[in-house]
Amino acid sequence: MLMLPELLVVATALVVLVIDLFLSERTRWLTGLITLLGLLAAMAAACTNTMHGALLGGRFVVDAVAWWFDILLILAAFVTVILSMDVLNGNTRVRMRGLGARAEYYCVLLFTLAGMMFLISSRDLITFYVSLELATIPMFALAAWRRDDARSGEAGLKYVILAALSSSLIVYGMALLYGLTGQTNLDAIGRILPNHVGPAFWFAVAMLVAGAGSKFTVVPFHFWAADVYQGAPTPITAYLSVASKCVGLAFMFQVLFRIFGGWLHDGSLLVSIFAATTMTLGNTVAIVQHNIKRFMAFSAVSQAGYFLLGFLGPNEAGVAAMLFYMLVYIVTNLGVFTCIIWYQNETGREEIEDYRGLSQTNPIMALMMMVSLFSLAGIPPLSGFVGKFFLFSIASSAGYHWLVALAAVNSTVSLYYYLRVIRQMYIEPPDADARRIPITKKLAVTEAFLFAGVVILGIVPTLYESIHADTATWLATLLR
Amino acid sequence: MASVPMEHALVLAAVLFALGLAGLLVRRNIIFMLMCLEIMFNAAGLAFVAAGARWAQADGQVMFMMILTVAAAEVAVGLALLLGFYHHFKTLDADAAEGMRG
Repeated sequence: MLMLPELLVVATALVVLVIDLFLSERTRWLTGLITLLGLLAAMAAACTNTMHGALLGGRFVVDAVAWWFDILLILAAFVTVILSMDVLNGNTRVRMRGLGARAEYYCVLLFTLAGMMFLISSRDLITFYVSLELATIPMFALAAWRRDDARSGEAGLKYVILAALSSSLIVYGMALLYGLTGQTNLDAIGRILPNHVGPAFWFAVAMLVAGAGSKFTVVPFHFWAADVYQGAPTPITAYLSVASKCVGLAFMFQVLFRIFGGWLHDGSLLVSIFAATTMTLGNTVAIVQHNIKRFMAFSAVSQAGYFLLGFLGPNEAGVAAMLFYMLVYIVTNLGVFTCIIWYQNETGREEIEDYRGLSQTNPIMALMMMVSLFSLAGIPPLSGFVGKFFLFSIASSAGYHWLVALAAVNSTVSLYYYLRVIRQMYIEPPDADARRIPITKKLAVTEAFLFAGVVILGIVPTLYESIHADTATWLATLLR
Repeated sequence: MASVPMEHALVLAAVLFALGLAGLLVRRNIIFMLMCLEIMFNAAGLAFVAAGARWAQADGQVMFMMILTVAAAEVAVGLALLLGFYHHFKTLDADAAEGMRG
């Protein structure tokens, strides 16, 4: 069954919603467990499915890249659900009001996941567009989930308007593509397009690139990210920063490789300019942030710039490098967010200064957060370094040495602001009355696994090799 | 029956889209911003219908149905959030949404 993982996710969403009707308030935490089991089943179904093929008359295709994206997305959603459970079940020291409706929360989260998984497998303008919206619209509700918090509602509303703007750009670009080619199949559009270069074509390119850039937080289309990240409930911020980024990359794969694959080589200069501005601006603005969620938003923007290096060339190694770095980024970023969520659950604080003296009250958590931050900055031998190394080598082999130099400078700048957090944890003294902050088993185990992932992914290269081997022939069929 | 040339429909769609975009940027009332978004979606839908007519296919109209449905869902969520926004800020002015700075 090619579509089994997606169907399991949708089925779990519906089951959670229905079962919730029969649960009392005391047993309602079970919905979280059912969600996790459903995601495990979907993960197992995806892992055991080694077949590639097409369904629904070629509108739904599972290939090597779609398979890897499915795995990454399910992983991100699985960890997010674990991170959400404490908050939703009320197992926090600081009461967070307005975060009720557990079953609906999980249901909506699972629907976004289903949309994301369908998006990378879709091969038709209609399924492509509908799955994009399925991945986006429920996210508005998740961002605004804290009904009593004005900032959460504000984040949700800003997200609605700006994401709808980018969606309308995308759908207008799609209309132009369809008008030019008369095809709704993405591969067919990509094949026919070279015969139709003209003003309408360039208009469509501009629309789709702006839309894709907005989904992937590429500067100058990143402006929604900071407010939405800061206002959303923290587990949703974590989900946005990894899953939404992952689906943004999937969207770029579909648009840049599949539709505009023929121009990607000539467009490398444009991609390199986007990459340069994205990483530079993200890094520069992150330096002056005080709120840790906003800080992580700009860190995520700058990371998007590193991803763009993989589109230069373009070649097979770029695809593998981007997928591998996405895996590393998901694990590392969730590692940082586990700490942020834990700290917020127990103390209710989210300013960078609030982390002072954490190494003395909670040395192990401080260590894990430090290692995750170092991995984001790209310190060897952590996984972030290895992932960045592969991306930089893509840019270098494409001849963009100035961009590699700029990216290296940016990594150093990013080290500076990641060190700001580490300085608070390790050098600043704790408050006089600071005591050890307790941690729930769920979060401790999750953080330990993510920490292990951050370290192991950098040392053991087998995963990169298997991604590379899987996707080695993927691009050749698209670029011709 | 004389048919409308595709160019005319596409020009109309482009004008509508530009009007929607301009309105979105100029208006500060959030309800009007959502309406402008709706105009932009419908402009894109019109472009799809015109394109479908050019190729004599039903796909353009099918896509228009999808766009209508999705835009309705989008606005439904938007209006729900708008109610929450009004509840907190007692205004529909988008400039009131400045609780976060950095």
